[in-house]
Parts: sequence; C-alpha cells; structure tokens
Amino acid sequence: MSMKQTINRRTLLGTGAAAAALTLATPGLVRANTFPDRNFSVYIPTAEGGGADRNFRAFSSVWKTRLGVDFEPGFYPGASGRVGYEIYMGKAEPDCYNLLFGNVGPEVLNWALQPPTFGIDDYIYFGQVDKDPCCLFVGAESPLQTMDDIFAASKTRKLNVGTSRMAHPASIGLLALGDKLGVDFNLIPLQGGKGTVAGAVTGEVDFSVLTSGSVIAAGDSVKTLLVFGNNIAGEALDNAPSINDAYGMDLPEMLSTRAFGIHQKAIDDFPDRFEVLTRTFKESHEDPALMEAYIATKGQPEYLVYAGVEELAVEKQAMLDLGAEYKALLTGA
Amino acid sequence: MPSDHHKPPRQIGGELVIPILAVGFTIYFFSTIWNSPWTAQVSTFMVGGILLLVCAIFFVRAGIWLVRGEGTLGVGNLFTMDDIRTGRIGLLLTTIAYVMFIDTLGFTLMTFLFLAVSMLILAKGKNAGFITMVSAAMALTGWAVFIWAFDTRFPRGWFETTMKAVLANG
Amino acid sequence: MDSSTASILVEVFFETIGYWYIIIPTILLGLIVGGIPGFSAANTIIILMPLTLALDLQSGLVFMISLYCAARMGAGIPAILVNIPGTAGAAATPLDGYPMAKQGKGQQALAISFVASCIGGLLTTIIALATMPILARVGFYMHSVEMIVVMLFGISLIASIAAQDMVKGLIAGFLGLMIGSIGTDVVYATPRGTFGILELYDGVPLIPALVGLFAVSEAFVIIEKRVIVTHEGEPKAPNWSDTFEGVNIALKRWVHIVWTSIIGLVIGVIPGAGASIASFVAYQQSRSFSETPELYGTGHPEGLIAPEAANNGVTSGTLVPLLVLGIPGGATAAIMLVVMQFHGVSFGPSLFEDQPKVGYGMFMAMAVSYVIMFLTILPLSRYMSRVTTIPTIYLAPMIIAFTLVGGFVPREYMFDMYLALGFGVLGYIARRTGYHVAAILIGVILGPLLEKYFLWSLKKSDGDIMVLFSSTLGNILWVAFAMSIILPIVLGMRRKRKLEVPAE
Repeated sequence: MSMKQTINRRTLLGTGAAAAALTLATPGLVRANTFPDRNFSVYIPTAEGGGADRNFRAFSSVWKTRLGVDFEPGFYPGASGRVGYEIYMGKAEPDCYNLLFGNVGPEVLNWALQPPTFGIDDYIYFGQVDKDPCCLFVGAESPLQTMDDIFAASKTRKLNVGTSRMAHPASIGLLALGDKLGVDFNLIPLQGGKGTVAGAVTGEVDFSVLTSGSVIAAGDSVKTLLVFGNNIAGEALDNAPSINDAYGMDLPEMLSTRAFGIHQKAIDDFPDRFEVLTRTFKESHEDPALMEAYIATKGQPEYLVYAGVEELAVEKQAMLDLGAEYKALLTGA
Repeated sequence: MPSDHHKPPRQIGGELVIPILAVGFTIYFFSTIWNSPWTAQVSTFMVGGILLLVCAIFFVRAGIWLVRGEGTLGVGNLFTMDDIRTGRIGLLLTTIAYVMFIDTLGFTLMTFLFLAVSMLILAKGKNAGFITMVSAAMALTGWAVFIWAFDTRFPRGWFETTMKAVLANG
Repeated sequence: MDSSTASILVEVFFETIGYWYIIIPTILLGLIVGGIPGFSAANTIIILMPLTLALDLQSGLVFMISLYCAARMGAGIPAILVNIPGTAGAAATPLDGYPMAKQGKGQQALAISFVASCIGGLLTTIIALATMPILARVGFYMHSVEMIVVMLFGISLIASIAAQDMVKGLIAGFLGLMIGSIGTDVVYATPRGTFGILELYDGVPLIPALVGLFAVSEAFVIIEKRVIVTHEGEPKAPNWSDTFEGVNIALKRWVHIVWTSIIGLVIGVIPGAGASIASFVAYQQSRSFSETPELYGTGHPEGLIAPEAANNGVTSGTLVPLLVLGIPGGATAAIMLVVMQFHGVSFGPSLFEDQPKVGYGMFMAMAVSYVIMFLTILPLSRYMSRVTTIPTIYLAPMIIAFTLVGGFVPREYMFDMYLALGFGVLGYIARRTGYHVAAILIGVILGPLLEKYFLWSLKKSDGDIMVLFSSTLGNILWVAFAMSIILPIVLGMRRKRKLEVPAE
C-alpha cells in the first residue's frame, strides 16, 4: 500500500507538525492563474462512514495527485440525499470548485418521486467512479438460506425485507421479483446501508436488498442469494445467480453508480476548467494506483469501471423512467 | 387547587404563550400531513392530539383562575421593566444582531463586536478597556480554532480574508 | 479464557502502554473537542483523517479510541459547569450536574463525573472484553418492538420531571415530541412540518436544539446574578479537598456506577441506539429505584452519576457489534471501520481468529485510556470549576457566542445558528413561565427515535398495533416498564405515610 507509512515515536511529532502545517497552509500551494489553485469542496449527500465515503476517499487520493490540490468532503445526509443535492444546487458556487459526489441510482430516483426545487438538467454527472449491481442477501444465521427457502416462507406469511430506502434501485429489483413470483414483499426502509445489513444480520427483517458493494464489505456476516444484474464479482457475492438467469426475466441492471457531478452552469461558464476535470478524472481512472487504493478500501475490483458524461446521462434518464413506473409503490400513494 | 391568598394573582398571560405556540404549531403540522401516507400521520396525529388535549385542559384551568380572580392576563413573569435595566433586552438585541450580521462581517469581527458590545451593556459601560481586551482575545482564539486550524465553513469577512493573505505571503 | 488469549492480552496491554506518547496528547485534544459543543469525536476523527490514515494500524487505532473516550468525558465538563451539553449523549448530564455547580459544588460535580465516567468506562470495557460473544447477541433480540419500550423508559422521564404541575409538564414534553417529529417520515420520506425549510428535512438538528434550550436560555437568566454560583455557595479558594470529596461521594455509590454503566453497555451494543438513549434511560432507572426521587434535578449526585456512567458504558458497547458482527453501532464506530478497512483489517466473525491482537487491542486501548485519563484529568477539576466564579456580565455573552458557534459546527449551516437562537428564546419563555426545558428536550431528542422504531414495527406488521405485544422479550420489557412507573409511586406513598406520622 503506497500511502501507508509507519510512524514511530521519534517521527510522530515531526510528522504531526508537518501534517498540521500542511493542512493549515494548504492554500499556500497557490500556483498563479492555473486551475485549480485551491481545494475542491465535494458535496456528498450521504452520511460519513458509508460506501460513498470509502469510494470518495479512494478516488480522491489518486485524483488529488494529478490536480495538486485536495478534495474536502462535506457530508449532507438527509431526506434520502435530497438535502445534499438541494444545498449543492442552491448554495454552492457554480465555479468548478464545488463538486457533487452522488449515486446515480437511488438519488436520481428521488426526482421521479418528488421533483426537486432546481431543474433536473441543471446538473450533470461527468465521471463514474464505480458501479455495482444491487443484490438480495440474508444474515449468516437466518433460517432462510436459499431462494427456495424464501419462496416457501413467502407462501405462508408476508416477508419483511430491509432496504436502504424506498426510493432505491434495490427496492425496485425486489418489487420486480415479487411481481414475477406472484408474492407480496413488505419493504422496510432501514435508513442506510449500515442499518440494512444490521437488519438482516440481527433478524430485524427476514432478509435485505442493497447495493452489492456494501454487502461484500459486510463479509461473512451475510450471504448473497440473488443479484439484480450480472454477478461480475463471483465468489465475493457467494456466486449468486443473476435475477434474469434464475427467473427468466429481462430486468435492466439495478445499479448503484457512484459518480462525480457538477453544475451545468459551471460547465457553460468555465469550459476550460471542466476540461481539466474530465481529463484528469479519466487519467486517474487509468492510474494503477487507483485500483490499489480502491482495493485497500475494500472495493470490489470488478466494479471500478469508468464512464463519462454520455453514458451517465443515459443512466440518469433510465432511473427517472423506472421511478415513474414504480412511483405509487414507492411513495405509498 | 388551594390558592394562597398572600400571593399576588398568577400571571397567566405569560403562561399561555407556550400552549398557544403549541396549538398553533400542531395545527400547522397537521395541515402539512393531511394528504400524506399513513406512515407520516400515525404517530404525529397521536402526539399532536394529546398535545391539543393537554393544552385544552390548561386553557380551561386558566379560564377558571381568571373567572375566580386568582389570575390575571399579565405577562409580568415573562417581561418586566427590569429586563431593560439589567440589560437583558440589550443582550437579546446583540444576539440577534450577531446571527444576522455574521454573514456580512465575518466570524471573527462579528464575534468580537458581539462580545464587546454585550459585555459593555451588561457592565453598564464600566471596564471598557478590559472588556475590549477579553473580547479580542476570545474572538482571536475562535478564529485560530475554527477558521485557521479546523477550517470550518464559518462566514469569512474582512478579517479572515486579510489574515489569509497575510499567512499566505508571510 | 484459555492461556493463549491471556498471553495475547498481557502482550497487548504492554504494547498499548507503550503508546503513551499518543494517548496523552490525544486525551487533551479529546477533552477540548468534546467540550466544544458540536465537535464530536466522530467529527474530529474525520477532520484528522489524513493524519489517522498516515499512522500505522496500531497507532491509528489507539488514537481513535482515546479520542473517542476523552471526547465523551470532555462533553460532561461544560454540561456541568455552564449548562452546555455539547452532544446528545451529555444531554442528561446538566439535569443534576449544573444545579451542583450553582451550589458552588462544581469541583465535586466534576470529580463525581470523572470517577463515574472512568469507572463506568473501564468496567464496561472489561465486561465487554469478557462477554463479547454473548453481548453481541443482544442485537439479535432487541428489534424495533423491544426498542419502543426502551425508548419509553427514557420518555417517561417527562412525567417524572413534570411532577409538580402535570399539565404544564405534559405540554412541554409533548411540544418537544411534536418538534421532534419535524422532518421527513421514516418510511416514505414525506416532508412534514418543515415550514418548507430544506435544513429541517432531516429533522430538527440536535445540537442547536440542545444548546439553545439549555445554554442560551440560561445565559439570559444568569445575568440577574453576579456569578453562576449562588451567594450561599460562594466557593472557597481552590483546594484539593473538594475534589476528594467528589471522588468519595462517587466511590460510595459504586453500586450505582456499576449498574448504570451496564445499562449503557447493553444499549450501546444495539446497533443504531446511542448515548442519548442510554443516558436518559439510566437517569430514569436511577430515579425510579431511588430512595429520594424528589432530589433528582436539584443537584443529586446519583442523578449525575447515572448519565455519565451510562454514556461511557455506551463507548465500550459500540465496539462489540463492530468487532464481532462487523456492524458499526454508531457514527464513530463507522469511521473506525473505514480507517481499519483502509489498513486491510476486515471485521466480523473471523476477526478474532485472523487478527486477535487488533480486536483485543481496541479494548485494551480503551481501558488504558480510561486509566490515564483518570490520572490526568482529576487534578484539573479544581481549576476548571473556577469558570463558575466568572462574573456573569462576561460569562453570559461568552456562553451565547460559544453555543451559537457550537450550533453551527456539526452541519455548518447558518440556519442552525438561527435555530439555536430560536430554541434559546423558546427555552427562555419556558423557564420564565414555569415549563420544564428538560421535558421539551427529552421530547426533541427521543421523539424521532421512538417514531422510527414505532413505524418500523407498524410497517412490519402491516399496521397491526398488536405487534407491540408480539414478542416475549418485548412483553417482559413492558412489564418492567410498568413496574418502573408504578413502583416509585407505591414507594413514594409509603414513604410519605411514614414521614407524615411524626410530622403531623
């Protein structure tokens, strides 16, 4: 691991002081008239300590070496990520120094259910860090250990299924499965990935659905049974089959896509800055150091896939369409 | 409830402020969830219902005291001329000014002004030199901790911009 | 415990002691950031994340743990001395701590809090270490239904606090619960009662509410007096005897420390539950089974011991689900998880087989931190308590500035400063007209948590209210809850009868 270094007592004070001096004097790294000449603020619409936090740190650790300035994350959880976006769009200066690090899956789904105060096209996603399919999993000690167990149990009672939030691709995947099997699942929003994993492990719910990256990070305490997309992670997801293969369906992949976003106005006003961002983003993606950092933060190597402005726009639209289709079920209307 | 005849009548006007606020807020709250899914309503209708009920009981009780002459609609327990004398109103005004102008003047300068002016009001103008020194020291400590060391997003003003330039060049 | 585990423990113990050069400065840092309202351990670890990641695994771990413990303890200091609870976990601390400070017993109160925190923290660390596999099972039984009852233990405090005037107490408490309901609903994220304000979608932020209701309102009240300490309680010159008196008071009540810290530990191991629940539940339990419930809220040592022992019990409790199940119990634990994963440590059932020294090391770091903290902080209490003798003409504006700033820090929204001021005005009106701010606050803090568990239960049962009585453990808790309500009334009546006979 390249970033890791061992510090003993003698060097601690020196390093501590250096680190402090560096933190305090970062604006001192001014390079006149070049972009960027100061740190970026990154608006992350979820809580710290989650999957977005891990991915952001891995990616920015590489990206910052190319840009010569640091990325300062600000976490704005609340109302399913809505608060973070509203604050980013409403309060952050559109100058290419303020970026968004969001999730194209669940967060765009919000707009389909309840439109934001800003125009949906007023921001775009420009760089995908990674994408992972959602999956269905049980706790290691759950009495339900196979899809057949789940199917049998769902005939006798309505099963409770943990999900991070109602407006989430994983919830849509489960509802589609329920449609196909002709059973009714009861979605329980457990407010975030941590709660969703904990719910399945401790038996608060019968099983859970979530983005598979967080499920892999949970290790042995859970077992994956089905993937709402292609299982490119294989063993890490217990070789669970894809929903389309297992049940002969043709559901689009239910993805959680972590990507950097930016104000459309910033692109219009500062096209040269945006060019620097997209170029260095792509370069960082190709840097072997990224894979190293990504794996170090428990990322699944197969999920680290680049995508740019066009692909992300297509995915954003797909989420809006799915949201419109399942609106009634997800809002309780 | 046996009333103590030596006491001045109870100042019910002041005591009614909180229940009236509570009723107003609850009614507003209900209006926002009237057409919402049951999950948004169930516990708030329960809590709000009880709140309206206890407020109603209090209003009835207050009415009885008023009729019996055991209380008045006075607000003496909430506000007296003493509040001006002690500088409480002054402190309230400086506090409001603090949050209103911190955005324009910046964290450090506004904190200094707030501390100095409030202390001067409370001290009735005495010890002005000492107060200025204490306020400046506090404001600078605040700047050192929140702006310089931890780099929080407190509003930046003239002082912060100047210091940043000084630190960058010095 | 077999011999290999024992030898690992001994080895880890000496290794941890060897990190004194990290622990001591970190404790000082933790006490300071803990004392600043809004600056939690979690926030600080995030801010210092680059440094943490640069340290090697063991140093980073020792750093985070001692910061966590020290910040928890630091939060109690302003809560006691100037009525500013800096975190939700310290919200119950001023209930009896601040009255003590007002009586000129600030130094004793600090000593009591330090002893309760350290013994509570140390003891629960040892218990957690010894019974980890069993404790980790608690989360498997405490589901949303059971948690509803646990929350009710805490919320029932409203009624006890409101004892003198039940109607006004209930108005305050239910107003608090109503304010706590502001924000989107747990299931379908429908915004409610937000006045259209974006910053309220996530509910009322706790720190602005906390500092506004308690500290800002108090600042407007104390200017009537020359100093916080009442005239009769005017303190003597700084002396050691007050500190020892406090230590003595706390040690005499060691049984109390033990059981309230265990309440904290058990609540701490439940993923998602936290220090605020634990400290209120511990306070309520302590009061229910007390011989002198009427003394609570007037500066009763037990009313201070209970929340402080409990919230430090939570500190060790949150490590258990993290280490045994791989599920972080709270915000700080979640960040520890990120840092540990960065170093390639995977948590969960296999941790103690693959890297036992990491697992045991975390508990050991906690135990050593508590011991070192006790030795370093206790002598300081005689100086800290001098804060209460600063003339209020200087202190009141400082408290206001300090707390409004603290209201801003956690989310860094300007709106939160206005909110803290708004809560300050509400708290001031409440104080002047005889409504309990503590009752409002309990509603604001515990209300949203209660609603969350309630809605989960209802959603799970498709809206059947009988779900509340559907689990055996839940029903046992219901009975215990009923007992803890009825018993004090019965005991109180019996005591009254005894007292009345000679009095009349």
